[in-house]
Amino acid sequence: MSGVQRAANSLPVVRPASQAWKRYPRRCEFVLALAVIVGVWQVVSVAVHNQTLVPPPLQVLDAWISLSGAELPGDILASLVHLGAGYGLGIATGLALALLAARFLFFEAVIDPVVEILRPISAIAWIPIAILMFGIGRGVPVFLIFYAAIFPVFINTLAGIRQVDPHLIQAAQMLGASRRLIVTHVVLPAALPIILAGARLSLGVAWMAMVAGELTGADSGLGWRIFWYQEFFAMDKVMAVILTIGVLGYILDTLIRWLQARITRWSPDDSETGR
Amino acid sequence: MTDAQRRWLPVPVLATVLVLWELAVRQSGQFMLYPYPSGVLAAAVRTIGDGSLLAATSGSLYRVLLGFVIGGMVGVPLGVLMGSLQSVNRAMSPVIDSLRSIAPIAWIPMAMLWLGIRGKAALFIVAYAAFFPFVVNTIQAVRLVDRNLVNAARALGAGRALLARAVILPSSLPVILTGARISLAFAWGAIIAAELAMGIKVSAGGSAAVGLGQLMVSTLYIRRDVNGLVLYMIVVGVISLLIDVAMRRLQRHLTPWR
Amino acid sequence: MDAKIEGRGLSKTYISARTGDQVEALRDISFRIMPNEFVSIVGPSGCGKSTLLSLVAGFASPTTGEVLADGVAITGPDPRRGVMFQEYALFPWRTVLGNVEFGPLARGAGVEARRALAQRYIEMVGLAGFEGRYPHELSGGMRQRCALARLLANEPEVWLMDEPLAAVDLQTRNILQDELLRLWGDAGDPASRRAVMFVTHGIDEAVYLSDRVIVLGRRPGQIKDVVAINLPRPRRAVRNTAAAGKLIDHIWSLIRDEAAQAIVEETS
Repeated sequence: MSGVQRAANSLPVVRPASQAWKRYPRRCEFVLALAVIVGVWQVVSVAVHNQTLVPPPLQVLDAWISLSGAELPGDILASLVHLGAGYGLGIATGLALALLAARFLFFEAVIDPVVEILRPISAIAWIPIAILMFGIGRGVPVFLIFYAAIFPVFINTLAGIRQVDPHLIQAAQMLGASRRLIVTHVVLPAALPIILAGARLSLGVAWMAMVAGELTGADSGLGWRIFWYQEFFAMDKVMAVILTIGVLGYILDTLIRWLQARITRWSPDDSETGR
Repeated sequence: MTDAQRRWLPVPVLATVLVLWELAVRQSGQFMLYPYPSGVLAAAVRTIGDGSLLAATSGSLYRVLLGFVIGGMVGVPLGVLMGSLQSVNRAMSPVIDSLRSIAPIAWIPMAMLWLGIRGKAALFIVAYAAFFPFVVNTIQAVRLVDRNLVNAARALGAGRALLARAVILPSSLPVILTGARISLAFAWGAIIAAELAMGIKVSAGGSAAVGLGQLMVSTLYIRRDVNGLVLYMIVVGVISLLIDVAMRRLQRHLTPWR
Repeated sequence: MDAKIEGRGLSKTYISARTGDQVEALRDISFRIMPNEFVSIVGPSGCGKSTLLSLVAGFASPTTGEVLADGVAITGPDPRRGVMFQEYALFPWRTVLGNVEFGPLARGAGVEARRALAQRYIEMVGLAGFEGRYPHELSGGMRQRCALARLLANEPEVWLMDEPLAAVDLQTRNILQDELLRLWGDAGDPASRRAVMFVTHGIDEAVYLSDRVIVLGRRPGQIKDVVAINLPRPRRAVRNTAAAGKLIDHIWSLIRDEAAQAIVEETS
């Protein structure tokens, strides 16, 4: 987020009183907040005094350390394989369909109602059918991720292409650009921020679909591992995996945001690349 | 292609798909393996007739609305704080961002442990899912309040209360309502996921079909009724569509100046 | 001498996207622009002057009549007719250099050649040192210079300019007017000048820059008068003279009533 620009026209931003406060790195406040949360967690776990019901933070950390030397890397890898396959396929399909729809009116008229009908049916609702189709295994999460990832990319790519400033296309035309050059050098770069925003939205829903798919219909991956540990009531390990899902999701989102910022450096502000 | 042609094109397209689908399944003769349109219709008639569809749907919807309200009651005040106080924002936004990356459904074992296997665990998941769009959009809403409007109101002599009521609330309402719409959509997705996971984990023998998700699981594992599954999928889709339309109507009604 | 650009009996009717009504934007417009001539189009808002320019650019085609360039009917955009847009239409993802070299790139020039060409025109418009900036990092006046360099780098025979100075402040506008005249060859050999069609709502600007001013009326757009500006060049010396003032007053008297009407209609 462009904190500077946003802050400039934002409302009751209470500025820190002293200049010295400003020099604190922003991590300082984050660490403080984290400490408070872990502290509350610790207090609750002591009060409840039941290590299954509320495993204390240190025990979860312990579990995480022991897991990271054992099953965790394999689970992460399995999840990333699901995500890579499903997300890659989904992005490619969404992009291809949108490009076809933008190019051929008839194709758009056919694909548009299909998308409008399927879109409200979330990937989650496909779980039972996916289990029937693929059986318990890699097929279910990959299919769900694929399905979830298509729509945001498709919709954003089409919208992005549609809202390219016609003056830019005219400018390229009057400079003598061919049709192909206009597509590659004007339409795609102009639509890129919106396409990337779509890819980021896709990643978000794909991540959710991955966890849900692994929980219900897979035999590997982080989501599957949660229920596996629950069988043994190893709630400290369950918590460790849950937190791993959060951290990994955060890292992936940060990565794609970094990519967005890098690729669209020319953009005056990030409001159009945000959600 | 004219506009009218474009508008009506989906009808023949869909009709063709449905007819081909029905014919293909009839040709194969595998009525237990593949769903087919007339079977889905029959399943609809049956489950509407015996009341099981309505009971499951209303059970899920009830928890969605409750979880949505809880998510809003926690999310909006936190969003206001984070949007107006820089330090709170800097402290909380990494926490919120990483919590947000935990798929709500991942909490299901903890939720089941804490709140039991009937409705309440799903309620927790729903509230968790609904919470984040509320926070994120409220932060945006508060930040996007135009300083010039605030200054204009101050210059006209508005006090704090009037400022909040007449300037800040109407400026931020549209964005918050957008957050509410996303929240409700998330919540609906989350309830189905939570009920599915619980149904699979707690194979309750079909008797405890308290929501659409559980109904789907029992249809999958006990009755093996593929047409029923497709029907429930369609119901899930129709309800998210209705939720979206209703929320947009509400948004237009509450913020007519937009 | 043959006209560089010629419009014959042009009219343009389109269907309003908002109301669905037929709108007659232009009616029976005929004009000629000679090869070294600077012609401005002025008129109240809604007179269709931008529409007229887009017909000459080849972005749209007339409902009736025809537009000729060198005696040949215009069928589409052509790099020989460069266009400068109201809001610049710079490619935001390309730097100053990237924008200026786009024309040569489109026409298939190699890297070396188009760099050199772009560099020359960047220097000519006074943007040397800003080659690596993105458009959003430039002031309005600098963006204008960049758009001008992009147009010049294609070395077009006709310059079509759609209110190019409307979006900059008054001081910058004065400076850019002089720059434009300098680049056009106001002080130099008349034979080196290009044909210019300059759309503006600034009457003083039109008088200062042009050889002739075409005055359009509105609803539908039609030619009210063509005013020859017989002021000596270079124009710097005559910017605020009484002769210029008289011409401005004359043109203003032609469109005053309709301009007032346009304001009333736009606010209602």
